[in-house]
Amino acid sequence: MDSTEKLEKTKMENTIPTKDRVIAWPRMGRIDIPLKALLVSLGAKVIIPPPNSNKALEIGVRNSIEGICLPYKLNLANYIMSLEKGANTLMMFQAPGSCRLGNYTKMAQKTLKSMGYNFDMVIFDMYKSKMKQTLQAFWHVTHCINPWKYYKGFSLGFNKFFAIDTAERLLFYTRPRELNKGDAEKCYEKWLKITDETNSVWEAKKLKKQIINDFKKIPIDKNKNVPIIYLIGEFFVLLDPYTNQNIEKELGEMGVEVQRQIMFGDWLEHVLKPSIFYHKESHRERSVRYAEKYMKRAIGGECIETIGDTVFAAKHGVDGVIHISPFSCMPEIVAQNILPKVSKEEDIPVLSLVLDEQTGKAGYITRIEAFIDLVKRKKIKKINN
Amino acid sequence: MKKIGIPRAISYYNNYPFYFGFFNKLGIEIILSDKTTTKTINDGCKYVVSDTCLPIKVYVGHLCNLLDKGCDTIFVPSIQSTGFKINNCSKIRGLPEIIRNIINKPFKMIEPTLDKTEGIGFYDFWYSVANDFEIYDKKLIKSAINEGWKIYNDFHNMTLKGVSYNKALKAALKRKPIEHNDDIIKPLSVVIMGHGYNLFDERISLNIIKKLEKMDVKVFTSLNVTPKEALESIKELGEVQYWANELELTGTSAYYMLKGEIDGIIALSAFGCGPDSLMVDEIAHHCKKAEVPLIHLTIDEQTGEAGFITRLEAFVDMLLRKKRNILTKKPIKIKEYIQNKNIDNIKKEKILAS
Ligand code: SF4
Ligand code: SF4
Repeated sequence: MDSTEKLEKTKMENTIPTKDRVIAWPRMGRIDIPLKALLVSLGAKVIIPPPNSNKALEIGVRNSIEGICLPYKLNLANYIMSLEKGANTLMMFQAPGSCRLGNYTKMAQKTLKSMGYNFDMVIFDMYKSKMKQTLQAFWHVTHCINPWKYYKGFSLGFNKFFAIDTAERLLFYTRPRELNKGDAEKCYEKWLKITDETNSVWEAKKLKKQIINDFKKIPIDKNKNVPIIYLIGEFFVLLDPYTNQNIEKELGEMGVEVQRQIMFGDWLEHVLKPSIFYHKESHRERSVRYAEKYMKRAIGGECIETIGDTVFAAKHGVDGVIHISPFSCMPEIVAQNILPKVSKEEDIPVLSLVLDEQTGKAGYITRIEAFIDLVKRKKIKKINN
Repeated sequence: MKKIGIPRAISYYNNYPFYFGFFNKLGIEIILSDKTTTKTINDGCKYVVSDTCLPIKVYVGHLCNLLDKGCDTIFVPSIQSTGFKINNCSKIRGLPEIIRNIINKPFKMIEPTLDKTEGIGFYDFWYSVANDFEIYDKKLIKSAINEGWKIYNDFHNMTLKGVSYNKALKAALKRKPIEHNDDIIKPLSVVIMGHGYNLFDERISLNIIKKLEKMDVKVFTSLNVTPKEALESIKELGEVQYWANELELTGTSAYYMLKGEIDGIIALSAFGCGPDSLMVDEIAHHCKKAEVPLIHLTIDEQTGEAGFITRLEAFVDMLLRKKRNILTKKPIKIKEYIQNKNIDNIKKEKILAS
């Protein structure tokens, strides 16, 4: 048998009766809210692992080898914590790029089985699969055949995704400008909760508008000189506030507007919608176009996105770029090597931060602060000229 | 005359015999960088961020060396994948991307791509190289590829028979294949799992092979195993090949482990190497079951020779003790085995005689 064939076969285990399935998946941004809505609509039971924390990290580190990247360790901890809470079906995502992630599954499966857990692993390739495979995966775990439920589930899921994306974007915009510290954050948390609790498609469709209106009510200083920083880098650390030490919040509080290029909803829409309905240039396509001067080929992971986004940022008046990646991340090490030249030639300040288990918060914040000072000074100079 | 610089690093170690045959046939003179020294490493470190692994730093150092020699056309391939979805490490995939953006001197980079996932195959790879030298004659290119294979096969056939890396390389390039004749039985044998660019670079590997041989240990490496054997061994262990350069590590150690002929496994990899840590873990998992000791040595630019030797010696000592224990505790079993064998032979003889 061809080795890839074998891989495909092991992708969907089926030992647990559908009605007994309790589904869990690793934490990745706020994917839990829409995915939960979808799966519950299809009649499944789900368990959401607690947010990543020192405890989760400790569990992950204890059960994995030293050289493996941070995202794996935390994913593993998410699984263990979900299994402990009664999950028996684990969904594994394969994000874009082809890096160690493919190997992760195999390893996590082995590790968890050797720890004595009983479960089915269902691999969900978010990158290469299109609608058909996606539906297959959901059918596999729920055996739901009612098309109405699929319709409801997907509409709910999508609308919630968009709601969260909107709320996030507005949070990034409002936080550095708010007059009363904490307003934006409160508003965001409130809407996350409402989004999570919404259970009808009709209500979910209204979320986005309501969120926009609500954020508008927050008093802000419209004329404040706010530098814009792009946050780029490896997918997982970008989306996980524990790993990136809540960098978005830190930056917001330093009076900086953050823009993140990987927004989950956008990306999902691109992945899932059949290409005939999707005419926008995808993030990857745009990155390849912008990175062209520096990179002629994609090399796995999100390296080309990192480079493309930096060039894009420079060309669109963004004031600086913060690049974050987990320690020993191979594609991002390549990116780190390329970035100095991009920064110089495109004339945009870039800060590369590497995150690992021991990243101390103090040193990390100092580096960010120093960088933001530089960006602000540069911005003032630009305005004065 | 057309010239091409080849850095003595990364793909050089496994593929140079092929490169040699190919470029010579096309009438392109090869300029090699000098062997790795501490200076090479230091030069490389100047250009890349410190988290980069040692082999890539060494590669950059070699590239600098070629530039210093006045070489203005340098071979920097991007080996993305060697089979469908069998990818390489990002740093090897992105070698030209790294070089393009860190070296600020004018030179021409010959940067062919091998990417079987995307349908860019072996022939495309070499045609693109030839085209860069304005050679378009398909027949000629094909014969150059054949010449490459010929030298490569000569080289590999020698190493399969046990000729050492250096001797086999020399003989293959001179087109005078030699036979292996100094097969001494040693008390211990180990397999080293490691990439060619770590293992056969005497500076990076701190000469581990010679050191082990001095300790009276027989050393097996990926050069002693055919790719087919390696791949089959991986499958036999119930694993699948994931990385392009996996055969050198998991394949080789799986092969010897399954054969049951080795006393231990030494994993040699660069500090911070992503793929290796996964592969070593995979093998370690099977080692536990098979009760084969494994030691994982990681190297970076600061690795001191003294500490390295100490660890190596301790491991070899342990293997010796283990072996002695087995030999003294189970002498009867061995005897039985021999006896049985004799009986079988006697039986056979009898049958033949009657
Ligand atoms: S992209 Fe980086 S973090 Fe993700 S699997 Fe690859 S090495 Fe690990
Ligand atoms: S495989 Fe490991 S040693 Fe080789 S280039 Fe990649 S990270 Fe470096």
